[in-house]
Amino acid sequence: MEILLIDIFDKPHGIIIFQLLAATRFTIYLSLVAFSGGGIVASMITFLTISHRPMVRKFAQAYIWFFQSIPLLMLLFLTGLGVPRLLGLDVNPWTAASISLVLFTSAYLAEVWRGAIAAVPSGQWEAGFALNIGFVSTLKKIILPQAIRYGLAPTVGFLVQIIKGTSLAYIIGFSDLMLTGKRWANAPVLGSEPFIIFPLMAVIYFCICYPLAMLARRLEAEDLAKI
Amino acid sequence: MELRFFELYRSAEYIQLLAEGASVSFFITVSAGIFGFVLAFGLAGLRYFEVPIANILAAAYVDFIRNTPLIVQLFFIAFGMPLLFGYVWPFWCHALLALSINFSGYFAEILRSGFASTPKGQIEAAAALNLTQSTIFKALIVPQALIKMYPSLSSQFIFLFLTTGIISEIGVVDLTHAGLFIDSRTFRSFEVFITLTVLYCLIALGLKAILQVTYQKTLGRRVA
Repeated sequence: MEILLIDIFDKPHGIIIFQLLAATRFTIYLSLVAFSGGGIVASMITFLTISHRPMVRKFAQAYIWFFQSIPLLMLLFLTGLGVPRLLGLDVNPWTAASISLVLFTSAYLAEVWRGAIAAVPSGQWEAGFALNIGFVSTLKKIILPQAIRYGLAPTVGFLVQIIKGTSLAYIIGFSDLMLTGKRWANAPVLGSEPFIIFPLMAVIYFCICYPLAMLARRLEAEDLAKI
Repeated sequence: MELRFFELYRSAEYIQLLAEGASVSFFITVSAGIFGFVLAFGLAGLRYFEVPIANILAAAYVDFIRNTPLIVQLFFIAFGMPLLFGYVWPFWCHALLALSINFSGYFAEILRSGFASTPKGQIEAAAALNLTQSTIFKALIVPQALIKMYPSLSSQFIFLFLTTGIISEIGVVDLTHAGLFIDSRTFRSFEVFITLTVLYCLIALGLKAILQVTYQKTLGRRVA
C-alpha cells in the first residue's frame, strides 16, 4: 500500500498520504466507540425521559442539558488533564477521548431520540394501554418502530458531528488523523507545507463525513415523502 | 485528592486573565456570527434564485464546510494561507475569518431550508399580483424564513460558540487560552477546566438571552 502510494504520488506525498490514511483508522475507531458507547448511554437516558416519575425525568433532562452545554473541548481537558491530576491517575488518551466523546454523543443522541419518541402521537400510547399490553410491550411493539423512523435521519446526521468531534482529541495526545496531519504540517519537509497537508486532511474528513450526510439527507427526504 | 479553587480565585491576575479571555471569546464569536450570517444570507440567496454555476458552487462550499472539522479549516486559514499568499495577520484575524467561514456554512444550510419552506401558494399568489421576484423575496420569503428559522439559527449559534475554544490553538488569547495559561502556572487542571466550563455555560446563557431579546425587538413584533 505504502509503496503503491509512493509510486503514484512520489516521495514525500506518497508517504504522507499513507500515514494520514493509516491514522484515519483511529479517527474511525474512536468515532465507532463514541457512537456505540454514546448510543448505549443515550438509550438509557432516553428511557428515563419517558419515565412516569417526574424526578427521573428531571434527572434525564438535566443530564442532557448539562452535557450539551459543556464544550467538547472542556470535556476532553477535564477527562484528559483535570481528573487525572486531581486523582493522581495516569489516564491514557484513548480512555480520556472515549469517555469525553461518549458523554458528548450520549447527550445529543438522547435529545434526538427523546424527540423521536415524543413525535409519536400520544394516542398510540393510549391505544397500547387500552389493549392492556403493558408499558414495555407498548414501547417495543408500537412506539419504537414508529420512533425509529423519526429518529433515523438525525441520528445518521449526528454521526458527522461525532467524526468532526474526534478531531479535537489530538489536544490530549490522541494519535489520529488530526495529530498525524499536524505533525506533518509542522515538519520541515519540502512538500508537507500546511497549505498542502490541511486541505488533504479536509478531503479525508470530507470523504468520511459526506456520504453519511448524504444518507441522512436521503432518509429525511424519504420520511417527508411518506408524511 | 483536594480541590483548591482558591488558588485560582485569590489571584487578581488570573481573574483578570479569565475576564479578558471571556470577552475575547464573546466578541470574536459575536462578530463571526454576524459576518457568517451575512455571508450565509448571500449563499442561501444564490441557491434560492438558482443563479447558474454560482448556486452549485454555493452548495459545494456549504457541504464542504459542514463536513470538515472546524480545526482543520482554522489551521488551514491560520497556517496554510499566510504561507501560500505571503501575508501576516494578527492571530485573532485568522480566527475571525475561520469562524466566519465556518458559521456561514451552517447558517446557509438553515436559511436555505427556510427559504425553500415558503408555501408555494403564497409565491403563486404574489406572482398573480404581479409582484417582482425581488419583492417576493424581500417581502414574503425572507421575513417568514427568518421567523421560522430563528430558533434553529440561534441554537446552532450557541452550539458553534461552544466549539470556538480551539482558536486558542493558534494563539488567540481567548477564554481557553487564559485557562491553559493558568493551568500551566498552577497545575490545578481540574479546578481550571471546571471554572472554564462554568464560564462557557454562562456566556452561552448570556448569548441565548441576547438572541431572545433581539428576536422580540425585531422579528417578534411582526409575528404579533
